[in-house]
Amino acid sequence: MLDRIESTRKIFDEDLSKVTDLASLEELRIKYLSRKGLITQIVDSLKDVPKEEKPKAGKAVNELKNHTNSSFEELKLKLESETINREEFIDLSLPGVEKAIGSKHIITQTLDEIKNIFKGLGFSVYEGPELESDYNNFTALNFAEDHPARDMQDTFFVTDKFLLRTHTSPVQIRLMTSKQPPLRAIMPGKVYRNEAVSAKSYCLFHQVEGLYVDTDVTFAELKGTLVAFVKQFFGQDVQYRFRPSFFPFTEPSAEMDIWWEPKGKEGRWMEILGCGMVDPNVLRNVGIDPEKYVGYAFGMGIERTAMRKYGIDDIRILFDNDKRFLTQF
Amino acid sequence: MKISLNWLKDYIDLSGISAEEIVEKITYAGLEVEEVADQSMNFTNMIVGFVKDRKKHPNADKLSLCIVSDGTRDYNVVCGAPNVAAGQKIAFAKIGTIIPNGGFKIEKAKIRGEVSEGMICSERELGISDNHEGIMVLDSSLAEGTELSTALGLDDVTMEINITPNRADALSHIGVARDLCAIFNRPLKYPNIDLNESGKKSEELAAVEIRDSQKCPRYIGKVVSNVEIKESPEWMKKRLKSIGLRPINNVVDVTNYVLHEVGQPLHAFDLDNLAHKKIVVRRAEEGEKFVTLDSKERKMKSSDLMICDAERSVAIAGVMGGENSEVTATTKNILVESAYFNPSSVRKTAKNLALSTDASYRFERGTDYNITLWAAKRAAQLIQQTAGGEIALGEIDAYPNQILSPKVEVRFARINKILGYEIPKVVAERILTNLGFVVVEKSEEKLFVEIPSYRGDVEREIDLIEEVARIYGYNNIPEINKISITLEEKVDQSEFTDRLRTVFNSLGFYEIVTNSMLSENIATKFGSPVSVLNPQSSEMSHIRPSLLPGMLTTVANNLKVSEKDLMLFELGKIINKKNNAIISFDDFEETENCVAIITGNSVRTKWYAKDKQFDLYDLKGIVEVLLSKQLPGVQITFERGSASSKNYKNGLNVLVNETTIGEIGELRDSVAAIFDVNQKTYALEINIDELKKIVTPKKSFNELLKFPKVYRDCAFVLDADIESGQVVEVIKQSSTKLLHNVILFDIFQSESLGKHKKSLAFQLEYFDLARTLTEEEVDKDFRTAIKAVETKFTAQLRGT
Repeated sequence: MLDRIESTRKIFDEDLSKVTDLASLEELRIKYLSRKGLITQIVDSLKDVPKEEKPKAGKAVNELKNHTNSSFEELKLKLESETINREEFIDLSLPGVEKAIGSKHIITQTLDEIKNIFKGLGFSVYEGPELESDYNNFTALNFAEDHPARDMQDTFFVTDKFLLRTHTSPVQIRLMTSKQPPLRAIMPGKVYRNEAVSAKSYCLFHQVEGLYVDTDVTFAELKGTLVAFVKQFFGQDVQYRFRPSFFPFTEPSAEMDIWWEPKGKEGRWMEILGCGMVDPNVLRNVGIDPEKYVGYAFGMGIERTAMRKYGIDDIRILFDNDKRFLTQF
Repeated sequence: MKISLNWLKDYIDLSGISAEEIVEKITYAGLEVEEVADQSMNFTNMIVGFVKDRKKHPNADKLSLCIVSDGTRDYNVVCGAPNVAAGQKIAFAKIGTIIPNGGFKIEKAKIRGEVSEGMICSERELGISDNHEGIMVLDSSLAEGTELSTALGLDDVTMEINITPNRADALSHIGVARDLCAIFNRPLKYPNIDLNESGKKSEELAAVEIRDSQKCPRYIGKVVSNVEIKESPEWMKKRLKSIGLRPINNVVDVTNYVLHEVGQPLHAFDLDNLAHKKIVVRRAEEGEKFVTLDSKERKMKSSDLMICDAERSVAIAGVMGGENSEVTATTKNILVESAYFNPSSVRKTAKNLALSTDASYRFERGTDYNITLWAAKRAAQLIQQTAGGEIALGEIDAYPNQILSPKVEVRFARINKILGYEIPKVVAERILTNLGFVVVEKSEEKLFVEIPSYRGDVEREIDLIEEVARIYGYNNIPEINKISITLEEKVDQSEFTDRLRTVFNSLGFYEIVTNSMLSENIATKFGSPVSVLNPQSSEMSHIRPSLLPGMLTTVANNLKVSEKDLMLFELGKIINKKNNAIISFDDFEETENCVAIITGNSVRTKWYAKDKQFDLYDLKGIVEVLLSKQLPGVQITFERGSASSKNYKNGLNVLVNETTIGEIGELRDSVAAIFDVNQKTYALEINIDELKKIVTPKKSFNELLKFPKVYRDCAFVLDADIESGQVVEVIKQSSTKLLHNVILFDIFQSESLGKHKKSLAFQLEYFDLARTLTEEEVDKDFRTAIKAVETKFTAQLRGT
């Protein structure tokens, strides 16, 4: 009996190795695994085996059955998938169907990044008009009539009383006039400068203004807040410094520089923002008592920040809106 | 402004402090150094050499063989100069030197068979003068081996400093030195003026009359007689050149020198050219013509202040002198003007004339009304030194109303409150004192200080706090690392547009940002633009009244670079006039708007799809999804726009909850042609301010449908000019509330249907939220709808 099992296994294996298609596989199945097949016959003949040999023979038969069944199924799957591949060929190298989503302009992307950082620090976001009064843009911000400080920002005038705002600071005036402290807000928007268009300057750009007015605001807190910002925006290892500067609407005033090393060029300090403590005259102009309240303010240009971040050296490309540029960001 | 470090050393002892440290510290004190030029860098590797021996070159008649010593070793040098001789001290360039004039590098070389290990330089090669007749022979007392830059005094460092408009006091060497004194806690040294006055009194030689003491509070005249006009001495020329000034003659150079020394602009008149030797300070005649030193004729206004003699104008006060009284080669007697003019008056005049001079620049920022006397004396001293002559006794000081120095109080507690950091009281006091503030009273709580006359910018306690902070150093005030957040209402006014941008992006649109300044020609075609008074060019003279021009310019630019398939949008402000004259905010309207375009192909032929051009229906679908995402739950409808729309053909108004918020359409060819856009372009314009006003219903959950939907299809043949929308409307009106949706799934037009006929096929969707519908009730509803369409449009149901 055991010999018969062994020899059947051998012939089965031999026959199996010759099978190349599903038709011959079917023949194999009929020969061995059908109701009258060789394996079935062996199973049937098990009943004639003497009782003492039965366990051993039974085990051997089971093993044979398992072997033939699994060998058969394995080959069947293989031959089937080969057939499918041949008849229903799929070219998996074909490119996918194109789907497009657009993107925000990098000025907006940069602004979003700045906005998110300051919103996380508890700042609100306010907006204001671009065509402003001379009063909101200059006078209320402590720019004295006939003072050379007015030359710091080349202005597009519409009349002698109206102009295209030269900075987002008039939104400070609007906010402080309409709301009482505590006020903590950033104010993004377009601003205009009457400058010839070149690689370095454009007649308009975007700014973010920041303002915080409360009873116990300090220069040390202004520094801390801005340091937290530059670290988050440019990286924790950014090097920075503060320098005294002059803006009519802040006193003391400062500029913040970061150390900048463009690829392959010598490093240098680059100014990234102006800031300071809100001048008491400004607070007085909006009806806030400067003895009781203290404020800080800061402002930064978005384009310059974006250009620095992405290594762009001509500002005009930002406003050309060439699709080959837009799709990079 | 250029500042020379060597010049500064006249006023402060800077020993032991490197140029780098000065540059850094002064920047940290608010005088931002933008550029540093170190003259000695031009003379690297160059030393004083001693010619030990000279003999003729064996192979060349005109060349010499020299042995040059640097004090430690000898060099063989071939020299071509005729004047080289043994025993001379010379400027020796060692191997590796880059010659200042010419920029070539000295290498070890063999010249006609003889080794040469350096070069003996001429003045021209050193860039000192044009002299190239021979080598430069140095003073024999110089020690060989000395750095050449030190030996020649060409070791100056000049700094370009950006002086902010408030710091008029720092527009001179003494002004900068004063900040350095405070920074390094060292004393300021004014040059000693010990005048050798003789002869008559100034008052006897000239007279001054101020007729407008508001515009000219003080005018000092000082007379120097019998001068000799000639070139200035080398030391003065060198100083002026070091800060980029061109020497003119000794007297003019002195006025420039004193200006840059102490910041007081001076003017030197030829006293003999002043009628009656008299100065009258008065306003100009309206329309008066006056020729300035630069030979240009200027037209004056009656508000401009003039310096006149007894008969005519001789200078524009604080701005520029006149040709008629300038110092010339034959001038003998000088009247030096040292005055204090009202800053805003000088600024107005300079602005009117569009003329900015070193003098007007300082006067309009505010000069020192007390330094005038010192400056006049200093000028007289230097004129005598450089031009000889006699200094008249005393001076004419027209000073009708003495200006009193203001006094300001500063509380220590306030310094700490503003800065958030405690600066020691003694340090604060020392800083102010070093800057020239005079403490007149002090207590534990505060200081009461007198403001020096050169600090017109300091008027209040906060200004003094800044002075203390900037000299103490902003970087020495530690930043806090913890902030408290107040819990007032948080607002984000940009949230709405931010969200809209994201929806545009998800639909495939790229955001653009364009120039808001347009030409008049373009701007007036798209609205009632506001113009600017002082544009850079006629191309940018008007503020955009619409976003379309910027968008179409962008489309055109992209077409030029073969980017033809575009989906772009822009969000921004537009401004339109409401009234012709702009007097208040009511005379114009600033609106936040949105423009989007699609143009070109939505699909370029690929293995899975054929070319498909964008069309109006693409845009319609975009608008629907855009608005329903932005404002969930609102009703979006379209209505046929006016046929006379300037920009669009086949335009549609877009309505949200029955309010018109914008329009879409195909751009008219005439509009596209303005921008050279030569392919079909579809645009959307939305008024964002209107859109923001729309109230969206509160979002709430809708129960999911538990019962099956039933569908019925039908197709009608009807006249080709009937709009599908009308048919849908009739179907909806004639049906019960069981009908929830009508889907147009086919449009077919063919001669076989009859002339001017078309077929429209609809699928009608029925269901009820509460139950399963029976076939009978749906059929009944369906038949009613068909009947209604047939009757209304004399339509024929197909397939019957």
